[in-house]
Amino acid sequence: MDFVTQAKKMGVRSLLLQGLTFLSVLTSAFMIWKGMSLFTNSESPVVVVLSGSMEPAYYRGDILFPGQRTFGDRGWRGGGDIPIVHRVMKVHTERENGKQFLLTKGDNNPLWIQRDEIVGRVKGFVPYAGMGTIWMNDYPQLKMGLLGTLCLLSLFSNE
Amino acid sequence: MYNIFQRLSSITSFAMSTLMVLAVLISLTTPFIPSSPTHSVTLHSVQNAKGRVVDQFDRTARKSEFARLTFDLDADLSSMFNWNTKLLFAYITADFESADYSTNRVVVWDRIIRNTRQAKLRLRKHHNKYTLRNMKQTFEGVEGANLTLHINPVPYLGIMYDKEVVSIPFSIPRPVVKDSAKEKAKTKRGKKV
Repeated sequence: MDFVTQAKKMGVRSLLLQGLTFLSVLTSAFMIWKGMSLFTNSESPVVVVLSGSMEPAYYRGDILFPGQRTFGDRGWRGGGDIPIVHRVMKVHTERENGKQFLLTKGDNNPLWIQRDEIVGRVKGFVPYAGMGTIWMNDYPQLKMGLLGTLCLLSLFSNE
Repeated sequence: MYNIFQRLSSITSFAMSTLMVLAVLISLTTPFIPSSPTHSVTLHSVQNAKGRVVDQFDRTARKSEFARLTFDLDADLSSMFNWNTKLLFAYITADFESADYSTNRVVVWDRIIRNTRQAKLRLRKHHNKYTLRNMKQTFEGVEGANLTLHINPVPYLGIMYDKEVVSIPFSIPRPVVKDSAKEKAKTKRGKKV
């Protein structure tokens, strides 16, 4: 009953304050994510490279930031559950309705991608910063443990 | 007051914020590092031929027109390498307009340049690495074609941008019908028999 005695010592008000700061941390992270999404006009504003298909340009664990949806290379494709980053090889825009057909490296010729399947275009790059995400995906226990300790620390720290 | 966790957390948070500021500064300043690349593209010939070896994934390959470029490329991009350049991605695009499609951009050649030694490009009578064909299987009515060399420096950290360095206009001729005489002879023979 160590927690209870500690809680009694801290008082209800400070406990509530702890909860509030914890919530504000969570919501500010969410707000930053959504704000970046709005700013970059892309549904996933940060993407971690999960495979080595773009080596030697991007390696596993690198973080990519998109720019606005513009015409050009290095498109990255949503549609499925995992975004794919590949270089765009061919772009054809229809004159009548502005429909855009794209072909990226690694696709076969008849498989044209439409413009609305493109999530964004890589504009910025930070190496190896997303390695933590890969570890957490590979070892779910690590994720749970980390989240648990974070919660406990934020609830029972004095400041 | 100052237990080990507080010390650790303050140290890591300070380190993280310093690293983030550094990353922002690096990515903002890198594009302004001066460089003086030299480059020239000359086009020798553009051939246009109908049909090619049958591609099992592409039924249109037999009927479509394929353009074959022969070009020279001279470039010295070694000055574009600085301390924050992982590699240069050089690529040549063919841009053109056609009746139904307002913009068409096809990458015809590319190369990953990983060090200053590879940055001195001297290609003689090089052909396109990737097929150059139109969406509509024919180059009829295609105008305003341009061959453009782009260079995309990939940094170790920071902002990515494309540099259009040199652009030359060209035109795609109608395909030469090689076997027309033979075909005529065949039909004549057919009629006689």
